[in-house]
Amino acid sequence: MSGNPATYASVLSADFIRTSTRSRRRRGRVVSAVVSFCTAIVLLGLLAIPLFLLVGLHPRTPLPAETWRHLEVLFAGTVRAGLCGVLVALPFGIATAMFSAHFCAPRLRTWIKPTLEILEAVPTVVLGLIAAATLAPWLKVHVASVLVLIVVVPLALLAAGMAFGTQVRNEGWLPLWLLPLLIAVIALVLTLAGRQSASAIVPASPWNAALIGLALGVASIPMVFSLSEDALFLVPRAHTDAAFALGATRWQALTTVLLPAAGSGLVAAGLLGFSRCLGETMIVLMASGNTPIGGIDPLSGLRSISAELALGMPEASPQGDVWRGLLLAALLLLLLTLCVSALADVVRERLHRRLSAAAHAA
Amino acid sequence: MNARRYGAAGTWLVAGLSGLSVGAILLLFVFLASAGLAPFWPAPVDRLQLQDGHVLLGEIVAADAAGSPDAVAIRTSEQERMGSAYQRVRLRDIAARSQPADAIVITLVDGRRLYGRDGAEGAAALLATAASPADVLEVLQPNTLGALARCAVFFSHLAHFLATPPAASNLIGGVLPALLGTLTLVLLMSLIVMPFGIATAIYLHRRRGFAARCVRIAINQLAGVPSIVYGVIGLGLFVHGLGGGIDRLFYADRLPVPTFGGGGLLWAALTLALLTLPVVVVSVEEGLARIPGSLREGSLALGATHDEALWTLLLPAARPALLTGLILAVARAAGAVAPLMLVGVVKLAPALPVDGVFPYLHPSREFMHLGFTIYDAALASADAIRGVPRAYACAGLLVGVVIVLNLTAILLRNRLRDRYRTLET
Repeated sequence: MSGNPATYASVLSADFIRTSTRSRRRRGRVVSAVVSFCTAIVLLGLLAIPLFLLVGLHPRTPLPAETWRHLEVLFAGTVRAGLCGVLVALPFGIATAMFSAHFCAPRLRTWIKPTLEILEAVPTVVLGLIAAATLAPWLKVHVASVLVLIVVVPLALLAAGMAFGTQVRNEGWLPLWLLPLLIAVIALVLTLAGRQSASAIVPASPWNAALIGLALGVASIPMVFSLSEDALFLVPRAHTDAAFALGATRWQALTTVLLPAAGSGLVAAGLLGFSRCLGETMIVLMASGNTPIGGIDPLSGLRSISAELALGMPEASPQGDVWRGLLLAALLLLLLTLCVSALADVVRERLHRRLSAAAHAA
Repeated sequence: MNARRYGAAGTWLVAGLSGLSVGAILLLFVFLASAGLAPFWPAPVDRLQLQDGHVLLGEIVAADAAGSPDAVAIRTSEQERMGSAYQRVRLRDIAARSQPADAIVITLVDGRRLYGRDGAEGAAALLATAASPADVLEVLQPNTLGALARCAVFFSHLAHFLATPPAASNLIGGVLPALLGTLTLVLLMSLIVMPFGIATAIYLHRRRGFAARCVRIAINQLAGVPSIVYGVIGLGLFVHGLGGGIDRLFYADRLPVPTFGGGGLLWAALTLALLTLPVVVVSVEEGLARIPGSLREGSLALGATHDEALWTLLLPAARPALLTGLILAVARAAGAVAPLMLVGVVKLAPALPVDGVFPYLHPSREFMHLGFTIYDAALASADAIRGVPRAYACAGLLVGVVIVLNLTAILLRNRLRDRYRTLET
């Protein structure tokens, strides 16, 4: 179709005049009925998810105690993987959102946003493959270097900012200038620490929670980014403009005006990212080793509810105890993610209320 | 002054972290592209002369094998079976290393490779030891190939990968059935999800009552449900419930062998349709809401009923939004592997879901999928040295498909936005 839809000839066609009003009304009723019917099926399909899990679980006989113990381990593994993932996603996601929403040059922003959007579309099975086949052997010998990097990189950035930051007028393109510096720091740390690192810290398994956290974090950075960026953009321009008029620097406007106003939005973004990490399957299935180990050690393997479902469900026979245990696990996972995202909704609601109140006051 | 300084430090931290994350993402894409395409590139043949006098001829497959930089793995002639001739050689045992120009590689149809040199040890002599000439797939002299010839070999490998079925329990050969399975599944899913998604979006666009609010809440909440839970529902409700019911009613004579009561294409498509429904509904509703109200009011003023305005005006005008929703749903469905593992994806399917036998589309058959091939080749295969590059090749293909779909959706969205900007002025 081409051209302006407003000029469609069919709107003015003789069809409207020739057909009797009654048949047109009847046709309208049929359309409404079809639309309502389809929506009813959709609603039914969506409601079937919790209903099916509840009905399938209907307690005929109590589940054996070991099922509950196993469930506990799975729950601990899920939460551990989710926490590791969100610990990686939060700093990177929120920092990128803060930069993109507040400092970024508009032309750079047209590159940052699509890059992250495309990452969101990458299937997680691919990230799982990279984590399991390429990252795991590397991380096994470089745990200590990574720990050093976590400390050194922020310190180097802060120190460089303290020393030279006041001379930079325009922060809009800063990441491009900083990238060579960061690459140099990382290369330096890896070559210096690389030799000793292999023996310094030996993880219990090459497939461990830290690796999962890295992969899950990369997978959920785009989500945390776009949600926090939206929250930052919700704050009216007038607020930051007022801060600038009072002589605030960009950083001061960010910390004193933007962050307090959009804080609950950022918390909601973190919670939704956490909820996504909890339910992720392929990464955990491929890179966690699937060993049912409890505890909180980030360097040992784990087994999550989602991986247990993917591995156990096809083999379990319906109506058996194993099947019901798996249904219980699925229900637990569903409730966990629903609770976290409902919490995020409540927090976000607060943001909207506060911002609309501020808009009214202004 | 101090405040400025602290502010600058904070700014640099934020800028550095965002540069790091974007840089890491770009690195990820570059790595994926190179690792995905590398398996098709003709590898050179190395000749290793060891200290003890042995000579090894073959491909170096892992130059820096996981954490032990003092050794290499070399793949030499596989006389008996595939994967039987990997050797680990310590670097200090190697006396001399060269890439002789007359080295030849013979690839056999069963996946084995034979390495030799022209002349006394020529192709015919090499074949005589292990196979008949009829089994030869390809003879290459990789060390003397020019750049153009290398590219030609690369593209012929790529074409072979895309257009042939797998062999040797999915370790060699192409991915045609997996590609076809993925495409058929996604097509069937679109046929199911689009009518329902559009109807729901129209309903939400028109109604503001209690029922509409319930539907909206359900769709918003279930957009965040983990995909594996959809798989559980697909297995319990569709495969065992619906499929088992159909079997008892219509195929009772074949029981206990399931017809629809096992995992299959139809149930996988239904599961994915449920999974992608929120995406379609949200994007179509957004598209409908974007259309200026004056357009609808104009058609009503000209005497159209609400439904006529919808069919003749609003839906055609929202066509780009429908397309965007469809493409996003397809991209999401193409990447969803976890739920499929419960509802009928298999490592090797005996028959394609689409073929020339009536009724051409076989919705009850098990099928292969690119995403599952990645998982299977990387983890479940016995031969990691061959499996991981294969998994990366599949991953490159899958990511390529998904990225093209998403870019199309983004372009469409921008066009849509531009069009209504012109409409409003």
